[in-house]
Amino acid sequence: MKERWKIVTKKVLLRVENLVKHFPIRAGVFKRIVGWVKAVDGVSFDVYEGETLGLVGESGCGKTTVGMTILRLYEPTSGRIIVEDEDTTYYFMSKFKASSYIKKTYINRFKKLLKDYGSVDSLLKDLEGVDEKYARIFFEDAKGSGSKFIKYLLSDIQEKRKNFRRNMQIVFQDPYSSLNPRMRVKSIVGEGIKAHKLADGKRAEEMVKEILEDVGIIPDHMYRFPHEFSGGQRQRIGIARALALSPKLMIADEAVAALDVSIRSQIINLMEELQSEYKLTYIFISHDLAVVKHISDRIAVMYLGKIVELADKKTLFEKPLHPYTKALMSAIPIPDPNKRRKRIILKGDVPSPINPPSGCRFHTRCPIAEKICSEEEPELKEVEPGHFVACHFPGRL
Amino acid sequence: MPEPLLIVRNLKTYFYTEDGVVKAVDGVDFEVYEGETRGIVGESGCGKSVTSLWIMRLLDEKGRIVDGEIIFKGRNLLELSEDEMRRIRGNEIAMIFQEPMVALNPVYTIGDQIIEAITLHQNVDEHKARKMAIDLLRKVGIPEPEKRIDEYPHQLSGGMRQRAMIAMALSCRPSLLIADEPTTALDVTIQAQILELMKELQKEYGMAIILITHDMGVIAETADRVVVMYAGKVVEYADVKTLFNDPKHPYTYGLLTSIPRLDIEQEKLKSIPGVVPDPLNFPSGCRFHPRCEFFEKGKCDVSEPELVEVAEGHKVRCYFWERVDEVKKLEAEKV
Repeated sequence: MKERWKIVTKKVLLRVENLVKHFPIRAGVFKRIVGWVKAVDGVSFDVYEGETLGLVGESGCGKTTVGMTILRLYEPTSGRIIVEDEDTTYYFMSKFKASSYIKKTYINRFKKLLKDYGSVDSLLKDLEGVDEKYARIFFEDAKGSGSKFIKYLLSDIQEKRKNFRRNMQIVFQDPYSSLNPRMRVKSIVGEGIKAHKLADGKRAEEMVKEILEDVGIIPDHMYRFPHEFSGGQRQRIGIARALALSPKLMIADEAVAALDVSIRSQIINLMEELQSEYKLTYIFISHDLAVVKHISDRIAVMYLGKIVELADKKTLFEKPLHPYTKALMSAIPIPDPNKRRKRIILKGDVPSPINPPSGCRFHTRCPIAEKICSEEEPELKEVEPGHFVACHFPGRL
Repeated sequence: MPEPLLIVRNLKTYFYTEDGVVKAVDGVDFEVYEGETRGIVGESGCGKSVTSLWIMRLLDEKGRIVDGEIIFKGRNLLELSEDEMRRIRGNEIAMIFQEPMVALNPVYTIGDQIIEAITLHQNVDEHKARKMAIDLLRKVGIPEPEKRIDEYPHQLSGGMRQRAMIAMALSCRPSLLIADEPTTALDVTIQAQILELMKELQKEYGMAIILITHDMGVIAETADRVVVMYAGKVVEYADVKTLFNDPKHPYTYGLLTSIPRLDIEQEKLKSIPGVVPDPLNFPSGCRFHPRCEFFEKGKCDVSEPELVEVAEGHKVRCYFWERVDEVKKLEAEKV
């Protein structure tokens, strides 16, 4: 058996800060907004280069929306999405919106900070990451001029967008609807290569062949259409399409959920092999805790638009602190009739994200909820290094 | 042993389509005893749902029984007239389906649908039936059943809909309940609720359950005895402990070792190579041979192995089941 090697650096590849995505509910003749679906409501996490972050939760918890919003297939309602040392939040906004975002997030804040600190040097000392970088640009290159700063950030925006798209790819759940039925495999996989002008003609074809071989599709089949393949093979093609641009981050949204059990492990193994070969970082979104446990290094558990617990895999499974995490783990049937566990059965259903419960969102189903839980929302706190939990009574259950 | 409640013997049913003959079920044998849970497990297209639909006689003209019989309480269901069948269906044998939104009629309230089932099979008036329906809804754990009974399926959540469907299935106290992937469309915390509910109700009503699923975890936790199906055939047949502790068919063994597990550490997942075969074009000989690690040319691809009893109550359809034992021994030594 080939040992699975992996380098996880401590370099943050993606930082999601306070991400919020609310969808409007429209009704009536004039399509007035009558409410909001709070799909994602303040989610923050880091993804380190080379790791696999698992995002797990039940239907409606917002895990897919997080993935889609990171890729800007949905425009976030608020929050920041930072890739390496660039804020990418404004990349896909209109020029007007982008300017007002930059003004709000950086210019006004920097001006206020300058007043508080008195000098640029002491201000820069207290900032880090993107904030420090942008403050330097603002104060040193743009000499404190807002319009120059905006112009600087918005320069080469097309190029930036393209780079972003190249580096971030997604694999979808349904291998039937996510491939264009009228395109041949060669065009499906090669489309990105052409659009990004990585190669053309013979060389592009070579590249497609190589990638197909890597994902376990016979290269000669590249002139076939998607319907000529089975579900597992189509998912391989979906992965090949994502790989074609050698992205840094790949988001797998329930990538194995639609597959048969015997095929599922093939795809999981393939994704693990590709990770070391292509040095990929994964965000693996799934409702299946067992699959997430197998593939992830760190796991974030979501409930109704919030992260309730985040830790590395070992800690999370050995010492889960949030009652929801515990209930979720105990609910999964174990394929071994000799093992019988005490099961925590939650009452009721997941509440609607249109009108989430007050205080802690889990309190309506929580077996240990007290008065404070319905009044005050617990923050996601770091209780041990790297182990975050949002609960008033962590570890009590 | 007492007489089984249901015996399925050598069931063969083919679909005659424009593209050819689909041998969806091609020789299935099993029996179900009173009060037990019989698991049928297999991947998509293995024929597990078709088998269950035949027990209910719910298939249309295209599907034809080629051979076999289904004996329920001493009567062959396949020979009954439609009228006689209607008296059994929903009354003595009930069924719940995977997707309750599709199985329930969207234009009637859940109350209407349960009451219909009760008045059809039992000699009670509508008023009494409504009372019974409310009691049933309470029993399956639907809060405020007096109010909920007048709601439409779309007003209920997925878990509640499945509960309503269970209430409907139980309305005539069937002696056999067929559950076709009853929790597949549900979230895990809801799945745990529904499985628990089914267990409680089984104890109370003393009915037998045929549980059809692809989820080995669900099988391990609920079934008493299991049939493993592959490509229209039963490949292994055993009680649940034997099946999980000592699988003999390469397919069962492969399936069990390829599942990601919560309870144990796994370095790399085992996997079964290849794809699930096309039902229009099943491989010759043993249908699993193109994916089997124990495949032997000239034997497995030429003739089909019989289902042989390797221990009491443990049947396997494989020429080389002893080799699976050897592999298991090697694996155990490694650990």
